[in-house]
Amino acid sequence: MSYFNNISNAISTLVDGMKVTMGYFVRPREHVTLQYPDEVWPVPSRNIGVGELDAYNTIRSKLTVNINDCIGCRACERACPVNCITIDAYKGGPEEDLGTTSNGTKIKLLVANFTIDMSECMYCDLCTPPCPEDCIVMTPDYQFISNDNLKTEVTPEERWRDRDLLIYQFSKVPEEERQRLKTEAEEAAQAKALAMAAKKAEAEKAAADKAAAEEAAIAEGVSSQTSPTQTESSPAQDVIITAHPANTEASMETANSVQDVTEAEELTQVNISMDTIAPGISLEDKTDLPESENISGEEEITRINIPMDTITASITQEEKVELPENENNSGEGEDSEDRTTEERENG
Amino acid sequence: MIQSLANWILSFDILSGLGSSLVWGLSLFIVAALIFVFVAVNAIVLVYVERKVSAFMQVRLGPMRVGKFGVLQTVADALKLLQKEDIIPEKADKVLFTIGPWTILVASVATFAAIPFSDTLLAANMNIGLFYVISISSIVVLGIVMAGWASNNKWSLYGAMRSAAQIISYEIPVGITLVAVVAVVGSLNLQTIIQSQGGVGNLFHWIPIPLPNWYIFHSPFLFLAAFVYMIGATAEINRTPFDIPESESELVAGFMTEFSGLRWALFFLSEYANATLVAFLVSIVFLGGWQSPFASYSGAQAALLVISLVAIMWTVFVKVKIGRLSMYPLGISILTTMAAWLFPGFAIWLASPGLFWIVLKAASIIFLLMWFRWTFPRLRVDQLMYVSWKVILPISLINLMGVAVWMWLSGEIQF
Repeated sequence: MSYFNNISNAISTLVDGMKVTMGYFVRPREHVTLQYPDEVWPVPSRNIGVGELDAYNTIRSKLTVNINDCIGCRACERACPVNCITIDAYKGGPEEDLGTTSNGTKIKLLVANFTIDMSECMYCDLCTPPCPEDCIVMTPDYQFISNDNLKTEVTPEERWRDRDLLIYQFSKVPEEERQRLKTEAEEAAQAKALAMAAKKAEAEKAAADKAAAEEAAIAEGVSSQTSPTQTESSPAQDVIITAHPANTEASMETANSVQDVTEAEELTQVNISMDTIAPGISLEDKTDLPESENISGEEEITRINIPMDTITASITQEEKVELPENENNSGEGEDSEDRTTEERENG
Repeated sequence: MIQSLANWILSFDILSGLGSSLVWGLSLFIVAALIFVFVAVNAIVLVYVERKVSAFMQVRLGPMRVGKFGVLQTVADALKLLQKEDIIPEKADKVLFTIGPWTILVASVATFAAIPFSDTLLAANMNIGLFYVISISSIVVLGIVMAGWASNNKWSLYGAMRSAAQIISYEIPVGITLVAVVAVVGSLNLQTIIQSQGGVGNLFHWIPIPLPNWYIFHSPFLFLAAFVYMIGATAEINRTPFDIPESESELVAGFMTEFSGLRWALFFLSEYANATLVAFLVSIVFLGGWQSPFASYSGAQAALLVISLVAIMWTVFVKVKIGRLSMYPLGISILTTMAAWLFPGFAIWLASPGLFWIVLKAASIIFLLMWFRWTFPRLRVDQLMYVSWKVILPISLINLMGVAVWMWLSGEIQF
């Protein structure tokens, strides 16, 4: 009997299955396929709990810059926690007109290099509030598709691991012009560093002469053990104060604005001590140091500034909104920019 | 068809000087080429249809990018396969490896020589047509074993052995099922089988629903025999509930594992040629071949048919409405099929009504095969043998006896 039960069971279950498939077959409009390049899934919009602005209620994805409005203030570069933004801005000539932004601010710096490395970006949106011109924004474009990739000479096999394709250049300055400006700035920095080194060597020589004279004087009289260490350390401290006024100010500001940022202070202190070691060890060999080391040291300094900027900027949004309208603020920004360039040249 | 083609060629004054034997050979070649072209184009169309059917049954869209609705997808695939490198494994038996796919293709294409596409469209009208078709299609298993053995690959050999066991097992119930029909007709000639299904009669001889005299409506036994034949034929052509020779989850691709490019395309071609052959055979033997279902109705019979059809449809509609499924299925599928057939079908119908009807019937059977394929899970080897020897074979034997008894009861034969 189970033989016939098996047969009838098989037939009924097969018919059931065929009913199901036919039911789907005659309703092809219920398909789940998304024909990707033609159809795109809608970008989800949700409240992530930061204010009422529309920009905060959409998914943050590709970071984009309206380069026409950029004044090269480096606020975003300093704000970035992962250093994915790189900006090279140079002073234009006195008679050169770089135009104005859409807010009416006069552009004083030529932004020759503005790259965003989207493979490093962590979509934290910390770079957009500091921008005085509101020109750096997080867009909801999650696809990262462009025909530009086809122009690069990358074979399909290695395209998937070529990270350079995710570094976006926003500056409209042509490549040769960018290189020329870079080499010029480097030469100028080198010349200045040479001059500084010569100055320091003279100062040291004078100090050494003085010490020698003192030693000679002491040799005649009573000898003291502490004097040579003092002569070595004192010029180095002078160098710190003159070369990094911004750092000291920054640490002061953080201490004033936020009381809890002890870590940042410690970090800045650590950084300063590291910097003091560098000029302290070999002042004469300073010019022989490779440029890359100088630059890396510079980057570390700017990284330390981040917590201060971001915290002050994000605490009060009203101030942030007023920032671009206030000319004094932007002027200060440029001043700080000048300071940082001086730092770089000095460092 | 060959003779009429030769006569047609000879009717031109310019060509009459060629000689009758040369013209005969030429027309033979033309007919063979026509059959091969039919098989090739048919495979390209069916692959596309199969992909679309499977996609719709799985709530997908299927090929959509090449051409409008992806209609050129299989053309592109075929061109790609033709361009591929011709690879023969180093340790393979080169001769058998080369001959295998061609054997299968020749066997499946040669069967179409006996298939009547209409009352005149027939390459070879033999008096042993059905026997010829069954025997020639059995050569396919030889090609499969050749390919599997020559590949020198364990998956291929397993696939070939399974295929041989399966096809030999299912040939027997399939043959006995067809013998039941032959017992009713009294002839192996396919054209005679079709011609004997003309006219209109009662369903199962006594139930007063006027239906065409197709053998599926001849008796409950032949009605069952049609389904038994469908099951056995599905197993013979290695389609999905019975696709253990190439079960991709167990044997990579079975006997096709080592094949690529053109040779693999030949396997694909013969697979769909076999499916088409089965569809044509079912429509010839059980569904009246090129006979129109509406040819010879009287007015009263037509009215009665419409009434009974409406009654059946209504019951089906109500029944489906009870379930979770919506009620449109049958109606929409009938309407879409009619719409899809309207323009090409009308052209074919104008050219040859018989061709239209047999192609319509075969297309329905092919759709049924696809429906099977994308619904049913694969059988195990022992289940396959169980179904063949313990279920299908007894049923087909009972069918054979039952048909004889039915014919005696209905007075078709007297002792």
